[in-house]
Order: sequence, then C-alpha cells, then structure tokens
Amino acid sequence: MSNPSVPIHSDSSAHSGVKALKCRECGRRYELLAIHVCEFCFGPLEVEYDYEVIGRKISRQSIEAGPVSLWRYKDLLPVLGEPTAGLHAGMTPLVRAERLGKALGLKNLYVKNDTVNHPTLSFKDRVVAVATTRARELGFTTIACASTGNLANSVSAHAASCGMECFVFIPHDLEAGKVLGNLIYKPTVVSVKGTYDDVNRLCSEIGAEYPWAFVNINIRPYYAEGSKSLAFETAEQLGWKVPDQVVVPIASGSLLTKIWKGFHEFTRLGLVAENPLLKVNGAQASGCSPVYQAYVSGKNHIVPVRPNTIAKSLAIGNPADGFYALDVVGKSGGKVEEATDPEIIEGMKLLAETEGIFAETAGGVTVACLKKLAQKGAIRPDDLTVAYITGNGLKTMEALAGSLSQPVSIDPNLSSFRQIVNPKS
Amino acid sequence: MAQLRIHLTFPEDRVRDPIIYEISKNFQVVPNIRRADVSDKTGWMELELVGDLSEIESTIDWLRKKGVHVDPLEKSILEG
Repeated sequence: MSNPSVPIHSDSSAHSGVKALKCRECGRRYELLAIHVCEFCFGPLEVEYDYEVIGRKISRQSIEAGPVSLWRYKDLLPVLGEPTAGLHAGMTPLVRAERLGKALGLKNLYVKNDTVNHPTLSFKDRVVAVATTRARELGFTTIACASTGNLANSVSAHAASCGMECFVFIPHDLEAGKVLGNLIYKPTVVSVKGTYDDVNRLCSEIGAEYPWAFVNINIRPYYAEGSKSLAFETAEQLGWKVPDQVVVPIASGSLLTKIWKGFHEFTRLGLVAENPLLKVNGAQASGCSPVYQAYVSGKNHIVPVRPNTIAKSLAIGNPADGFYALDVVGKSGGKVEEATDPEIIEGMKLLAETEGIFAETAGGVTVACLKKLAQKGAIRPDDLTVAYITGNGLKTMEALAGSLSQPVSIDPNLSSFRQIVNPKS
Repeated sequence: MAQLRIHLTFPEDRVRDPIIYEISKNFQVVPNIRRADVSDKTGWMELELVGDLSEIESTIDWLRKKGVHVDPLEKSILEG
C-alpha cells in the first residue's frame, strides 16, 4: 500500500503565503503534505503562513472584489492554486438579531447564519471546500471521513461534484434518515459494527494505511483552516470590525480556535483594528461537555466522556482540540457554558420564533448558552455580540418531536374557522 | 511488525499505576512515549506501540479493562 503522506503530485508554495506545516507543540516544520502529526513529539500540525507576503497581496478592496464565497479570503486559506471545490461555500448572512436580542436583553446582537451554507446547509461546507481543494492539489482521487451527519453530507456532496471517489464511515446504529442523506450522493457508506471508539480506531488505522484524503485525519491541518472564514466574514460584514463577544459551539474545539485565529490574522494584516475586548465563549451540550467540565474544574486536562445528548453534531467525547479551545477561552477572558436537552429545544424555538431561523440542535446549544451568558452578565447589553449558528434544523427534526404545538383543526367552513381559530381582526 | 499511535487518558484511580512497566512486562510490544502530562488526579499520554498486531490488540484490550481510556492519536475522529 502506498504511503498517504507522500503527495502523488508535488507542488510549490513559492508564490503563496502558505509556508509550511508547523507543530503546535515543538515548533518543528514540515512540507505541505498530507500529514497531521509531528513525527518527533506527536503534536498536531498547523498551517504556517508568511504574513509579509500575504500583506503585500491582500486588502479590503481585493477582498471585496473577490467571489461571493469564502474564496474571497483565499490568500489566508491553505491552498496554493485556484479553488476547485466548494466554489459557493460561505458568505452566509450575518443577521442583525433585534428580536432575539430583545428577548435576551442584548442591544447589539448578530447571528451568523450558516444554516444556509452551500451545498449542504452547515458550516462543514467551509472546511470541506478547503479540504477537498487541497486534497486535489495533492493529487488525491479519493476522499473520506467518519461522521454521523453534517460532515458526511458535505464530504459526499463535494466528492460528487468533483467526481472523486468517496468513503464515509458511520456507526452501525445511525438513524436511517441520516444514512439516506448520504446515499443520495452515491458515496461508499461503510457501516461499522462496534462502538464509537471502535469507529475512531478503525478510521485512524485506515487513514494510515490507504492513500486517501481523510479530511479530519491526514488533511486535518488544511481542513480546519476553513473555519477561519467564519471570522473573516463576520469582520467584513460588521463593516470591518471585530466583535466584543462571540459564542461558538464546541465539538472538536477546532471551530472556536480558528475563529479566534481568523480575527487575529485580520488584525495582524491591518484589515481591522484590534479589539482588546474580544472574548471567545464556548457552548457545549450537557450530555457531552468535556471542555465545559475542564473549564469549571479549572483544569486543562480533558477527561473523555460518553456522549448522550440530542445535539449529535457536537457529540465528540474526546475532542482533538479541546485543550486548545480551553486555552483560547482563557486567553480571551471568555467563558464556557453548557445547555441541557430541554434548554437546547427552547433555544431552537426561541431562535426560530424571534428571527425565523430554523437551526439544528447545535444552534439550540449556542442560543441557550448565549442566554445564560447574558443572564449572568458575562455578556453585557451593549456588547457587540455574534452567535454562530452552524447547521440547519431540517437535519435534526427528530429532536423536536412532541415539543411543538399541534395544528389547529377545523371543519372546511367559515363558521368553524370563526368559532375555533377566532382571529382578532 | 505493526505500529499504532494512541492517546491514553488515566482516571484518578489509575494515575499512580506503573502502566508502561506492566505493558513491557506482560506483552511483546515496545511502548515509546512521545508526550505526556500527568498530575495527581488525572493524566494523559501519547505513545507508539510496536509489535505484532495481535500483541498490540491484546495490550489495548488490557488497558481498557484496567479503566484506561484508549483513543487513536487523533482522539475522536467521528464527527457530527
């Protein structure tokens, strides 16, 4: 079997601001290959940029003249050529949430609405657009992931649109509806008989064995960088400004760290003024809250948990970037909150009833935690606040069963309508 | 010969156990620690196990039975 760390095509970063992969722990540098772990200390690798080179190319004007997608920030994404996948991902609405803000006592609240991301209605379209483009640059013809929902949808759809072979690994007990949502794109869906731990271990072994672009294994350093586009878009859509507070759901923890990184990159390049008030807050579901547990106990050790929550898209028991997410929260002076399943449902309903945005359960977690942070005074009424809503509610309809009011039933005549519905005017 | 990179998390009641010594004594595998952080109440370790696949599998089963949480180096790969 060929070694997947060796690219089938070599490429050059000579004219790009993308410099190298760098170990987050020991600082060793590596070529821009399909690798994710430092061979010396096993620390995770992250993309390193040359900000002097980027600074000479990028400006507010160059960004505004770019495509209406996350690729307008291409200079700050880890691809060396033109994008070839996910060309319409990103540039989702930043909604001024006046009615939700009023309900929570917040006067300056915005919702970053990734429920309408393209093509599969979640923020995963950002990371997969970048991962797929980079995988193709590296010469891969097969792409893979392990997922219970959003990631599988996005990888399958991107693979289909690029004509790549696709493997999706799922736990054997995944709900039928979620499997169908993948099968429509015709990937090879592999149902693994075993626990979530078994799926993780098998995928790690497959990732080391087969010459595939496994988006959250050997392509992870590139994949994760796509999340920065949420910060870039937020700053641009706020009129080139960094908010005072952000509330970000935590699954692997990568999204939170990359939003922080994105704001800092814009600041470093002079595209926005530094905002020393910026606080990055994390949101977890109580049924899977290893980062919250570490935060409240004051430790920097993440103790793995067995997930039991309706927020399936956040159900990561041992988050790869949990430690780094805690670090960002601490450095920024933010907080981590958690929400129970009933609070998650209430959060989904509140967002829908006030802003007309139907979010998946992860969005309910964000709104419920935002509410707690506002109630506790951690977010003040005048703070410029952005809540990240990362997936569409049509994906988690089952979570709402029994939680919503029933339709009003009438006979097909006006008197029945008047008698039962009796509208005021 | 096979090799496997794993992340171990120790619960409080296993933090003081000489786990690596016991692995070396009981299994025909070579454990090679690369990173670790252990306190008096919890801890984690990242290491490589080298040996026959069956011995590596037996080692992981033994660790799990002792209450040590074993993940691949990437931790939770399965995402939502």
